[in-house]
Amino acid sequence: MRRADRAAGAGLLLLGAGFAGVAWQRHPYAGPSGPGSGFLPFWLGVTLAVLAALLLARALRARDPGPPWLPAGRGLRRLLVVVAGAAAFIALLPVAGMTLGTALFLLLILRGVERYGWAFSAAIGAGVAGLDWLVFTYWLRVPFPVGVLGF
Amino acid sequence: MDVLANLGLGFSIALTPFNVAMALVGVIVGTAIGALPGVGPASGVALLLPLTFGMPPTSGIIMLAGIYYGAMYGGTITSVLINTPGESASVVTCIDGYQMALQGRAGPALGIAAIGSFVAGTLGVALLMLMAPTLARWALSFGPPETFALMLLGLTTVTGLTGGDPLKGYISMVLGLMLSMVGLDIISGDERYTAGLPDMLDGIDFLPVAIGLFGMGEVLAGAEAARDVRILEGRYGVRDVLPRAADWVRSRWAILRGSAIGFFIGILPGAGATIASFLSYTVERRLSRHPEEFGRGAIEGVAGPEAANNAASAGALVPLLTLGIPGSGTTAVMLGGLMMWGLRPGPLLFEKNPDFVWGLIASMYVGNVLLVVLNIAFIPAFVRLLRIPYAVLMPLIIVFCVTGAYSLSYKVWDVGQMLVFGVLGYAMRKLGYSPAALTLALVLGPLAERALRQSLILSDAGVGIFFTRPIAAVLTSLAALSVAVAVAPPAIAALRRRRAAAVSRRPAGAPPGSPA
Repeated sequence: MRRADRAAGAGLLLLGAGFAGVAWQRHPYAGPSGPGSGFLPFWLGVTLAVLAALLLARALRARDPGPPWLPAGRGLRRLLVVVAGAAAFIALLPVAGMTLGTALFLLLILRGVERYGWAFSAAIGAGVAGLDWLVFTYWLRVPFPVGVLGF
Repeated sequence: MDVLANLGLGFSIALTPFNVAMALVGVIVGTAIGALPGVGPASGVALLLPLTFGMPPTSGIIMLAGIYYGAMYGGTITSVLINTPGESASVVTCIDGYQMALQGRAGPALGIAAIGSFVAGTLGVALLMLMAPTLARWALSFGPPETFALMLLGLTTVTGLTGGDPLKGYISMVLGLMLSMVGLDIISGDERYTAGLPDMLDGIDFLPVAIGLFGMGEVLAGAEAARDVRILEGRYGVRDVLPRAADWVRSRWAILRGSAIGFFIGILPGAGATIASFLSYTVERRLSRHPEEFGRGAIEGVAGPEAANNAASAGALVPLLTLGIPGSGTTAVMLGGLMMWGLRPGPLLFEKNPDFVWGLIASMYVGNVLLVVLNIAFIPAFVRLLRIPYAVLMPLIIVFCVTGAYSLSYKVWDVGQMLVFGVLGYAMRKLGYSPAALTLALVLGPLAERALRQSLILSDAGVGIFFTRPIAAVLTSLAALSVAVAVAPPAIAALRRRRAAAVSRRPAGAPPGSPA
């Protein structure tokens, strides 16, 4: 936690300074009849930088490293696979389509991560994909991406 | 008389078959969401918001409000049966609720919670109905300085009170305000922080952010460890759930006190249901003739806090509907929903959209009746829901997050944004930042900026305007006070620690005041 606070403090300090810098350079601080479009962003950037500096100072002074905030080993692997799986699901939406994408994503997580049997995983995947199609595509008329298979 | 006429109008809207159906869907989904550990009411409302786009706004808010107060009922089931709160407002119910369950009295614990919630929910709506129009009329006199000061107060109190670490809370709030600056400037049309991407011109939409921070963030926090829950076996038929005469006698004042505490704490921005339930528990233990039973299965310890969290959810709607200031993460998501439907929450809502406001209020009476029936007669169904393993639930919620984020404007871009904010929400949760403060700031940012700039135009760029107009001055001072209240205790504690460390380092026998 202490290391994470230090990293976050430094990163947020840079973010705040950069945000204020962009506001100052690119957006007018004062307009013809009062504050301009750069006024509030400038002060928000400054405020974030100040708060981040306080966080950084506190974390640099802290003696106790605190508990780790990220899980280790199996927990971390699970987390990464779920995030990566979700990212792939989203990136492949235009190619695979919503229905097939949903089924494949559920199959990946249930079979690959949670170690359920093939039949169970495929049944849940197909069932949820079908229900999703029924509610959102058929009933609510949401134009989901259709993939190479046409659904 | 006015109130009765308006309530009549409200019931004529709330009792249409479609709206009753939406209230029923809302309270069933809400109870389920409350019962499932790892899915809170803010996620539930964010996830189901896209479903309401095709409906009239009144039906939409009836469903979302049903989810909100339904979750307060559902959270109890998990607290009592598996000693894990379904949502934060039911944390305190674990203490005596689970003890009652261990003694084989899970049924009466759930029963008194449902009845207490019903009484409190109904009293809460009645108070909401009586207070809100008066507050809205008063707020009609607000100009830009008062509006800005009010938003400042909303932001600082929510931020100061919701998270553990105030510094990280304020950082979350400023980040939310910064995100709200992205896109075209509302006054000058200037393009800000879009990185040249056309998708960013309209700004950062609140819905993918809310679904990401709450829904996806919570799921990821749960994904790192598979959890097995052990449910206490028992009988949950109607007869097993109805409390005995002695339970009634012990609980009646706790329920009434909890209702009052909950409603008034719920009105305060930032305080909300969780604090109300803790306060009610403390009050009941103090007033009890047998305080030693608390922690060992005292039924008042379940009845009071459960009443309080329900009344608080009605109280939290007062500032949302009358001032446009949400008091919690869930009401911040609801505010975003209102704006998406093209409604502007605030004092004018009561004048311009009486059918919306009164339809909602009337529906809450209906919803509470539905909930008490549901939570007494159908507890076994919700217990069965708890048996769904989290490992199966988790990918289903992710699919729902993706579906919800896409339904906003049919763009994969929004879904990607949702995932980014999901990872951010996970990190924020684990590192002690406040996703609720960020969401609230993102929703209020554009409104606050407009009010600030209008005020500064009025005052010819002097900030004195926030201190010279009486209402604005009071609100600004309260905002400053809320920051002081949040920041002072940790700062004083740090100072004391440093002094104590300095004293212990001083060599023995050295006079006080000598350099250490």
